[in-house]
Amino acid sequence: MVGAMEIYQLTPKINCKKCGLPTCMAFAVALLAKEKNIEDCTPLLEPKYEAKLKKLREVMAPLASASETGLIIHDEKCYGCGNCVVACPVNVANDPRGSAIGLGPKSDKVILMVEDGVVKCLNPKECRRFGPNRIMCNLCTSTCPSKAIEFV
Amino acid sequence: MAVCTGCSLLCDDIEVTLESGRIARTKNLCRKGLGRFRSLYSERASPRADGSEVDVGDAISRAAEILSGAKRPLLFGWSNSTLEAQQAGIALARKLGGVIDDTSSFCQGPLMELVIRGQMPTGTLDDVRNFGDTLIYWGSDPTSSHPRHMSRFSYFPRGEKLQKGFEEDRTAFAVDVRESPTAKIVADGYFQIPPGGDAEFIEAILSVLDGKMPKVQDKKRMISFVTTLKKAKMGFIFPGLGLVYSLKDRLDLFSQLVARLNEGVPFRVIPMVGHYNMRGFNQTLFEQTGGINQVSFADGEARRGQENGIISALDSCDAALVVGSDPVSSLPAAFARKLAKIPVVVMDPHRNLTADLARVVIPTALSGLEAGGAALRMDGVRVELAPVVEGASPSDAEVLARIREVV
Amino acid sequence: MAELSVLVVTFRDIFQSEAQEAGRYGEEYRKASALILLDRGDADRAGIKDGSAVTVASDAGSVVVNAGVDQESHPGVAFMPNSPWSNQLVSGQVGPSKIPEFKRIEARLSSASGPVLKIEELLLGIVQG
Repeated sequence: MVGAMEIYQLTPKINCKKCGLPTCMAFAVALLAKEKNIEDCTPLLEPKYEAKLKKLREVMAPLASASETGLIIHDEKCYGCGNCVVACPVNVANDPRGSAIGLGPKSDKVILMVEDGVVKCLNPKECRRFGPNRIMCNLCTSTCPSKAIEFV
Repeated sequence: MAVCTGCSLLCDDIEVTLESGRIARTKNLCRKGLGRFRSLYSERASPRADGSEVDVGDAISRAAEILSGAKRPLLFGWSNSTLEAQQAGIALARKLGGVIDDTSSFCQGPLMELVIRGQMPTGTLDDVRNFGDTLIYWGSDPTSSHPRHMSRFSYFPRGEKLQKGFEEDRTAFAVDVRESPTAKIVADGYFQIPPGGDAEFIEAILSVLDGKMPKVQDKKRMISFVTTLKKAKMGFIFPGLGLVYSLKDRLDLFSQLVARLNEGVPFRVIPMVGHYNMRGFNQTLFEQTGGINQVSFADGEARRGQENGIISALDSCDAALVVGSDPVSSLPAAFARKLAKIPVVVMDPHRNLTADLARVVIPTALSGLEAGGAALRMDGVRVELAPVVEGASPSDAEVLARIREVV
Repeated sequence: MAELSVLVVTFRDIFQSEAQEAGRYGEEYRKASALILLDRGDADRAGIKDGSAVTVASDAGSVVVNAGVDQESHPGVAFMPNSPWSNQLVSGQVGPSKIPEFKRIEARLSSASGPVLKIEELLLGIVQG
């Protein structure tokens, strides 16, 4: 997954402060944290940075699809095996007769379920990585056979 | 709820949404199962005889002609058909005085035979979910071949006696030549062995059980592994083709290991059957003839023997009926060539290599999707299949009954 | 490239199974099947690049497939998805069990002698063989 350093390489690196931050590196960090948008960097919209802007939009595209917990699903890698669906502690707690015992979810309060052969994220706010008391649970990523789920 | 026939787990919690009679969306199907469902709409077979398009009735008549004209017809396939179709196939083989065999012949047959004969302790996948605390995936990679095996039954789900979840309740190991996706999931439980190294690995476990030093692998690690096995409340081994192909004639070594483990704790074996109803065919034929595969009905009597297995029978059979299988793809080229030299009748929902060289092709319904029936899951549990959509082709069972009427 | 001797083991891959369900004749199935996965060290020593075509030959026959380089280490061993391409290499000789050797094939890799064949071309080879 893209890091702040890689994003920084695609900024103008002129520390002009037009985005409201002191350095382009700070802007890169803010961009990754979704606190700033690409368009907040006005120099980047100038024609001379066209190539950088294009590349930056490319590397940032997967992040746009990340849910509020930072969860990204790479559909093309997913086996649809449901390991994450069954291992997710919130799914287990909210869906004792479905995902907790290995079946497809029977509750609409689950976070993860498999649709059309690929895992989907529903109710992201129920995820333990969300909210003020969040914990860095990673059971969905550690049980995945193909790194199809990722947190950013 | 629909049942998926993509593999021998026969997942029965599949939700399907239809739009104008076509499958539009599905829930709970894995990638492989979705492939099976979508195959409704790709590469469907069309009826053919002697190189021309014909109608199904003519294709059936021509098939009957070829089969009844043969001295020793081979009826092969069966693991992608319902129990009803398998019964009809056995009845047809009986009437023709032919040879009947299925894909297990060069697959899980040797191991499945021990299970069906009651010579190998076994259990159901529901037992695994409820009680299986120590698991060995041996020469198998369920993540790739039976994608929901670990999530529905073996590793991840909560069970009756296993309420805390896999991290605390279950210990899983993988023994494999390849660091497969399953091996990666069990992480520290993975033992890499060289190709053909299964016998040595079994001997190493037996050594440790005898209080001796193992000859292969890291000694400390092997001792700790065997200690875990000895502490199992209920252990399960899921052998795949890796183990069966590696041991071949030395399968008794595996039986010996299972027997030794069972002296201390219960250890059960569930072979990782590939096709959705291979177990069903083996069980059905066994009940009727005493053999799980490789049976000849020549002279009106059922005889079991290797000469009736497809590998050997291709040298002696003078026609073949292939049902729901593509041996030209799955056999080594040397054997596929032999099949190409005799008249072949194919019954299949899809076009495949065997159909392409067949003299007669009879398209059939995709079972579980266009036709109902029943099947046996890899653990022998019976699962009922009901059609989900309407199809244009007759079921295997119907076609076989029609052929039997006219031969 | 230098010649490389490996022990070929066939395996199952979910993306190949998915492609097979979509159709044996599709380009996806060919891409997922006509493949040999090599150990990085082996590939480097023989000068085989990821994605390049190679000829794999055994005593039973030979076939051109694309080479892939694995993340995992497995020197001397190569993996091929079980398919009509790998079946070109499996011997017609069987032992007392009558089970062909699908998972332990002694093979040699060399520069590709031609393109990766389409499945129809493999079938033609079988019919004419």
